[in-house]
Amino acid sequence: MPDPTLHTAALAALEGAVNRALALDSRSGEQLGRLEGCVFSLDCTSPPFRAFLLPAADGVNLAGHWEGKVTTAVRGQAADFAELATAADPTAALINGNLTLEGDSAPLIELQKILAGLELDWEAPLVDTLGDVAGHQLAEAFRGAFSYGRMAHKSLERQLEEFIHEEARLSPPRLELEDFYRDVGALAERSERLAARLARLRARVERLKP
Amino acid sequence: MSDKQTTHFGYKEVEKDAKAGLVAGVFHSVAARYDLMNDLMSGGIHRIWKRFTIELSGVRRGNSVLDIAGGTGDLAARFSRMVGTDGRVVLADINDSMLKVGRDKLIDGGNLGNIDYVQADAQYLPFPDDSFDCVTIAFGLRNVTDKDLALRAMLRVLKPGGRLLVLEFSKPRNELLGKAYDAYSFNVLPKMGQLVAGDSESYQYLAESIRVHPDQDTLKQMMEDVGFSAVEYHNMTGGIVALHRGIKA
Repeated sequence: MPDPTLHTAALAALEGAVNRALALDSRSGEQLGRLEGCVFSLDCTSPPFRAFLLPAADGVNLAGHWEGKVTTAVRGQAADFAELATAADPTAALINGNLTLEGDSAPLIELQKILAGLELDWEAPLVDTLGDVAGHQLAEAFRGAFSYGRMAHKSLERQLEEFIHEEARLSPPRLELEDFYRDVGALAERSERLAARLARLRARVERLKP
Repeated sequence: MSDKQTTHFGYKEVEKDAKAGLVAGVFHSVAARYDLMNDLMSGGIHRIWKRFTIELSGVRRGNSVLDIAGGTGDLAARFSRMVGTDGRVVLADINDSMLKVGRDKLIDGGNLGNIDYVQADAQYLPFPDDSFDCVTIAFGLRNVTDKDLALRAMLRVLKPGGRLLVLEFSKPRNELLGKAYDAYSFNVLPKMGQLVAGDSESYQYLAESIRVHPDQDTLKQMMEDVGFSAVEYHNMTGGIVALHRGIKA
């Protein structure tokens, strides 16, 4: 086994960051408590990194070494894990994605939903640090900034899509593409029918030959 | 004076009966600032070494754990949460100053109900045979007068299948790292001890005691000789520290 110091330190730092984020959502403790006793093996092949995630009511524990039974083992690349973590429908992401899964998928889906559905309340730690007035105002400013950021992101996404499809014609719009697929399908059917008809005619010609 | 009646106290040779008292003096002196000094001396890495020890302990809910030379209770605090209310953790230390600091820290941290505090010598553990699922000793074995006797006592109190984990300073695997580590231990460490804990001699002893402690393979052999099975060790931070693990068959 290579020197475990760096790996253990990285996991400790990651665990601290995750638990600080979880502490900002008051519901997370109760939700994670339902998964207490489950052990998730997360094996990232690129970049190579392995960790075991153990949820509990007071947060998650990330370990580099686990010798007991594993509830769910997931294996794949970092991008596949990121795709699952941000997926609106984790079940579909698991079925269609590139992650390899062993064991019970239900607790993993539950965990993904908890982590993806976190609603972080920045106000409590800010009020604790800065006091009621300044903390509340800063939290409001954050909320406004996040809300504006989300709106701006959605608007940019919509405008970019329009530019790519309609203005620059870099990629066809979805409806046009669906029409094209339908036409290709109809053409394929007609070709098959023609081929069958030709085969029948050829057979008849063969029979008429002396 | 014959060899059998003397032992190491750092680089000094002292009578075997005197070592425990001398070690006690060192730890009485550093107890109050032990955690701060550990953080300063290791740059906080001792927490990473202890975290890996906990991972390898395999401790589960309901287990009983003995933390020998438990000092200020870093391992015991984590074990207390892991074993839950059905389990039991015993924090043992030969030094009452360390034990008091550890007990206060654990109680202040809300670790109550499943921890017992016992002032005990690692060589003569006051527990029945086959009592614990896991025994740990972190940065304590090098201060024990008769290490074989202590290892035998640990084997005795472990349940069959139980694990012993020995976390201890060891020998760096890289020569350059070893030289840098020596320079740090003998020049920086005592000065830091003087500055923070007002005691350079105790930290001079700590540095010396590390150098006379058995290296990785010798300690592994010692554990096998007293009867531990499947003994293995993991070098950490280039071998500055090693974690040995043995199972009671």
